[in-house]
Formats: sequence, C-alpha cells, structure tokens
Amino acid sequence: MAENTDARDAVGDYRYGFHDPENHTIRFDSGLSEQVVRDISALKDEPEWMTELRVKAYNHFANRPMPTWGNMSMLEDIDFDAITYFLKSSNQTENDWEDVPEDIRNTFDRLGIPEAEQKWLSGVTAQYESEAVYHSIREDLEEQGVIFLDMDSGLKEYPELVKKWFCTVVPYADNKFSALNTAVWSGGSFIYVPKGVHVEMPVQAYFRINAKNMGQFERTLIIADEGSSIHYVEGCTAPTYSTDSLHSAVVELIALPGAHIRYSTVQNWSANVYNLVTKRAVAHENAVVEWVDGNIGSKLTMKYPAVILKGEGAHAEVISVAYSGKGQHQDAGAKIHHLASNTTSKILSKSISKDGGRGSYRGMVQVSKKAQNCKVNVVCDALILDEGSRSDTYPTMEISNPTCRSEHEASVSKVSDEQVFYLMARGHSEEEALALIVNGFFEPFTRELPMEYAVEMNKLMALEMEGSIG
Amino acid sequence: MPYSELEEPSRADHLWRYTSWKRIHPSGQFHEVPKAAKATLSLRSLEEGGKTDGVTLEVASEEDLERLAVSGSSDISTQFLRAIADGDAMVLRVQRKARLDSPVQLDIECEGDICALHLLVDVGDMAEMELITRISGNASWVGILRQGRFGDGCNFNDVVINQIGDGRILRTDGLYLGRDAQIRCGAIGSGSSRCKSDLRYTMDQSGSSLKVNGSILSAEGMHNDYHVEIFHLAPETYSRLNWHSACAGKSRTIGTGMLRIEEGAKGADAAQLFHNLLLSKDAEADSIPELEVSENDVVGCGHGTANGPVDDEQMFYLSTRGFNEPQARSVLIAAHLNSTLSEMGSTVVHEHLLHSLTNDLSTIM
Repeated sequence: MAENTDARDAVGDYRYGFHDPENHTIRFDSGLSEQVVRDISALKDEPEWMTELRVKAYNHFANRPMPTWGNMSMLEDIDFDAITYFLKSSNQTENDWEDVPEDIRNTFDRLGIPEAEQKWLSGVTAQYESEAVYHSIREDLEEQGVIFLDMDSGLKEYPELVKKWFCTVVPYADNKFSALNTAVWSGGSFIYVPKGVHVEMPVQAYFRINAKNMGQFERTLIIADEGSSIHYVEGCTAPTYSTDSLHSAVVELIALPGAHIRYSTVQNWSANVYNLVTKRAVAHENAVVEWVDGNIGSKLTMKYPAVILKGEGAHAEVISVAYSGKGQHQDAGAKIHHLASNTTSKILSKSISKDGGRGSYRGMVQVSKKAQNCKVNVVCDALILDEGSRSDTYPTMEISNPTCRSEHEASVSKVSDEQVFYLMARGHSEEEALALIVNGFFEPFTRELPMEYAVEMNKLMALEMEGSIG
Repeated sequence: MPYSELEEPSRADHLWRYTSWKRIHPSGQFHEVPKAAKATLSLRSLEEGGKTDGVTLEVASEEDLERLAVSGSSDISTQFLRAIADGDAMVLRVQRKARLDSPVQLDIECEGDICALHLLVDVGDMAEMELITRISGNASWVGILRQGRFGDGCNFNDVVINQIGDGRILRTDGLYLGRDAQIRCGAIGSGSSRCKSDLRYTMDQSGSSLKVNGSILSAEGMHNDYHVEIFHLAPETYSRLNWHSACAGKSRTIGTGMLRIEEGAKGADAAQLFHNLLLSKDAEADSIPELEVSENDVVGCGHGTANGPVDDEQMFYLSTRGFNEPQARSVLIAAHLNSTLSEMGSTVVHEHLLHSLTNDLSTIM
C-alpha cells in the first residue's frame, strides 16, 4: 500500500482513530498467492468445495485487470502485495462479552457495542480484523429458529444451507474485488430467518480494522425465508495509520417470497481505508429489500448496493448518503434490475462534498423486456460546500419494456444563503446553521436508521461541519 | 494525436458502451481508413426570394484548419473523420455582423459507398442567422465532422436533420461558443439504420447561452446513439439540453448527456432532460444523463429522465374527439417530438421542420 505521509493530516480529528497494540494469535505474511488462499481455508478446516471455490476465485482475481472506470488513479495506488490477508486476534468466537480478550473488549467498549446490545438489539456480531470475536443472539429468536452466526461458524454448523446460497447472488467472477473477497473471505455474518418469523429488533454487526496494512474481507449472507422479516445494521471503523488498509466485503441477501430485509450501514472508516464492497440482493415474489447506506469515512469508497427484482410484485428501495471530505472520494450509488412484472423501485441518493472531497453517484436501472408495468423513481441531490470540492452523477436507465414508467431527477447546488440567513436570524452561529442545514439535507436517511444510529450520524455530521466557516 | 496512434476504445468507456467502434467503423477493421467520396454541398435560402448574403461556402485554408479544427485532439471519432476526409475540409463562413432575415439551408448530399465531410463552421462576431443543415443521400456509410466557433455576441440557430437512407452515419461536432453568444442547436433524426452522434459544445467565454434540443424518431431496426457533452469553463454560462425520442419497432435509442462544470465557472446554470416514448414491446430506450460539477458557486445543475408509453388518458381524450387509434397515436407522437422541435428556431424554421417530421412519421411509422 502506498505510503501516505499526509494520512494523519487527512483523517484529522477522526474520533475512532485510536488503535490498540496489535496482539494477534496468527498473522499471515503480507501478499497473496494460491498457497495463502489454501492456508486460510485449511486453518478454518473448511469443506473441499469451499477451498476449490476460493482457489478459482483467486485465479480469477489474479488474471482480471483493475477496473478501467471510477477513480483509477486512487485504485492504482493499492499495493496488493503489502496487505495482510489474514490476522486472527482471538482464538474463538465468544458468546460472553467478559470472555473476549481485554484489549479487543476495550476497543468495542469505546465504540459502544455491548452497550448497544443491552439496550435494544436482538443480536450482535463484532468482528476484529479477520474473524468475529464476539457473537450473541437473543434467546427467544434462537428458539424461533433464527440463525445468526458469524460466517465461519455458519459454514461449520450449516454447510448445506451455506453451499446452497453462497455465491449465488454475487458470483466470484462478478468483479475483481468480489473475486478477491471470495478467495480470502473471513468472518462476516450468516443469518437465516425461518418462514413467517419477524425479527422485531435490529441485529447488528460491527467491523473494526485495528492492525496496519490490514485487509478485511468479511462475507455476509442473509436468507429471509417466506414471509419473514429482519433489519440488519452494520457499522465500520478503523484506526488512523500513515499507510492504507483495504476493506473489500461481499454481502448477499436473499429475500424469498413475501420476505422483507432491511440492511443499514453506517460506514465510518478512517480516511486511509479503501472501501471496495459488493452488495447485492435478490427479491422474489412480493419481497421487499431496502438498503440504507451511509458513507462518511474511507479514502475511496466504491459501493453500489444492488437489488435483482426477480419475482412479480417485488419492491426495492435504496437510500444512500455520502459525505466526502478532504482527500476522500465517495463513489457510491445503486443498481436495480427489474426482471419481473409489477416490480417497483425507488432510489434516493444524497451527497455532500467539502474540503476538496469528491462525491459521485453511479447508478443503474434496468427494466427487462418481460417486466410489465414496472415503476422506477430515482432522485439524486448533491451539495457542494466549498471551492475545490466536486460532485458527479452518472446514472444509467435502460428501459426495454414500453409499459414501464420511470423517472429520474438530480440536482447539484450550494447551501442557500437565504437558509443560512434565516437560521442566523434565529440566533444560530453560521457554523451551527450550516450543520443544521446539512443534517436536514441528510434527514431522509437518518430517519430510516434506528434511533441510536441516527443520533450518532447527526453528531458525526456536526463534527464534520466544525471549522467549516472562516 | 492522429488516428493511427489511438487505441480502439473499450466498451467500458460509456461513450462506446452501446455502439462499439467496430459497429460504426465503415469496415469494422480498426486500423483501416478507407477511401471516401466527397459529399456534395449546396447553400440556399429556405424561403423563396430569400438571400444568403454574408454566408459563404469555400475550401478551408491551412489557417482555417489551425484556428477552427481544435476540438477532439485525442477523440477517436474526430481523428478518424479527419483521417477519412484526407485533409480536405470546407468552411461555412458567416460574416461579422451578418444579419439574415430568412433561414439558410445547407444541403449535404451523400452518395456512393462511403462518403465523408469535414466542415468548419466560422460564425463571425454579432452575426444573426438560422441555419438548417440537411444530410441526405443513399451512401451506405456517412461520416460528418463539424468543428468551429460561434463568434462573440452572435445569435445563431443551428439545426441538423439526418435524413440518410438506410446507411450508417457517424457524426461528430466540436463547437465553441464566444462571449455572450446565444446559440440554439437542434438535432432531428429520422433516417439511417445506425447513427452514432457525438456532439460537444464548449463554453469557454463568459456569458454564453446554449440550448440543445433533440427530436429523434426511431422505427424498425434503427439504432440511434446520441451523446451530447456541454462544457462550462467560463463564468455566467447557461445551458439547457432537452431530448425527446419516440421509439417504435425493434429500434434502440440511446441518449447520453454530460454536463461538466469546471472550477471557475461561477454562476453556471445547466440542466438536461431526456424524455423517451416507448411505442412497441421490442423497442428500447437508454438514457444516461451525467453531471460533473467542480464549482460550488453555481446557480444550479440538474438533470432528469422520464420514460413511458403513450398516455392512455390522452388516447381516450382524442378518441372521444373522433380520432381512431392510429391517428391518435400519431398525433401524440408528433406532439411529443414537437415540444423540442418548436424550440429549435423561428416560426418559419419550426413550420419547415414540422412539415419534414410529419412526412417522416407517415413514411416510417
């Protein structure tokens, strides 16, 4: 990974920038080869089909060129040989918080993970480096047959279920980074919600990179069986180092007929993390999939949550916000593929660029020939707060059915002087006024988050707005 | 950079995503630059008795090429069209302060197997006129490159009609707008089996205003791929792109727009809209309206697209007024295309264009 001497400067007052001394039990040498992939698989004692899948994915990754679109100059800076692909900090996944090694527990205590679980969550997985270190699920859900495990345990305990669905939504050859993830994945969440079960409270996963030059490649698979529902929330942080880290996750969601999955993310990686993630869902008949996606941190994010509307009457919704500060490029968006009739989708994207940051919306909506009476609505709004910042929108609409009604609108603007004046006339300072306007701009996103995340998000944005005047 | 030094564009490049270079190259052989026949050009007033004073058509000099052929130095279609024109270029010159009461029509007749034209546009400062360029003929492949500049303070309407027979057409524009210039550009497409148009406008002087309108009629197996790129480089510049397509048969219509607001283009005001009317189950319409904004002090930048079928309520309304179904449909298609057509120029130009479009509608729909 390229040495970035300005990293500390770039990340500024990043509040999760603390790091604990690295205290790992297994650390692979940096660099990637077929042997590394086989070693990871052997270490996890995986079935042969998984090892072979990993090797195939590795070969695809090794032969596939880097993407020729997006921020190529930033992508070219990734040094795959400098990354550590596997690092294990705890010998096992604990169910009791007190059993987690103290240094890791301290980290998550500072992030508020057990506190959040006590208060309102149905279950929590905390992942530190490559593997989950803590996992818990409420007993009543377990009794109803809900499976909520870290992905490694899921593969061990439910190999047939994992084999049936793994890589079906995001094939390993989908893109270079999905191939990389399939080759070296470790950790992540595995969730199965049985028919008709409604998980009323959100389940949560927290991902943390602590070590230098670390790659985190978690894999999440959520299957919501017929008529069930679940809300999954994930958060991400990393400490501030002068060298860059890579986070390349794959998330696969399967919403079977009538199921409802909401997947919320508040990504706040430090500004030296490459966040290159593939997230995709399949929605069967009358299923609903919602991606609620907040991108605040990272150096470069390339993430386009997708939904394949495969069954008639399915609905997809993507609400995403992105904040791009100094040295950051948030290249985010959404993809919806309408394959069946009477499917509907809605995309709302909001971005703010400040201090020379760049925010890009990249979206795709496809309506296939056979998909009758589909409805599509896409709205993208961007605010550019100062000189030198940049905002882009790259939407694509491919409509192959004449009965489809689709609308797309986007606007880029600055904060209105009149709004600032109005708030200042009511006693707010200019900085407070700006923070309020920005929070208001992001409100369609925050109101979809659980209360604690919404409060956290508003605080984060207020922090980002500090020093923005004068 | 000459064509021979350029690489074949990848389909990852959105400009070539829907129409690969191979599909629009005359032979499909990347390195081949075939010999092309020259297009026949003629200039006349659109109205009987009208004059073309102050407008000339002549062979371009080296000085003209140096001054006007400045766009697309590393663009593959520009460089290919320059190569196939083999150094020959014509220049359409409008004198400084020329004021024409009647619209002028430039006919470009393209015959033979492969036919190409490199046309420079040199509009003098403060000139005022309307130009209709009609591209027709039965060549199997047509290449048209237009490069040039609209002078400071000029007021110019520039409409290009593609009425090529069944051939393929590659059309590229690279035009610059002078200070306070007010330009209205129109593109009307109802001909050719395959069309790839790459229209680029650069606003590098302050105060200029640009309206680009498109009325595209696609039927049968037509493939119409239009890319419009507008660069705001100077302060207080204004642009609107409004694109209406009607897609029938097994046709495919692609509209890609790029509005780029560079840092320093303070007070820029830009918007683009794509409207597609889908008329058959096998037609396809793709829209990619893109924005790149690097200046925070803008009046506003926006884009939108809308796709849909012919409105049932409007059909019902017309049926209650005595229209049968094909008539009602035809009227609604004409109205859809007319909303951009009516913005392309004066009443005289509009009537002429509407007449031409109505003829095309009855022929190909």
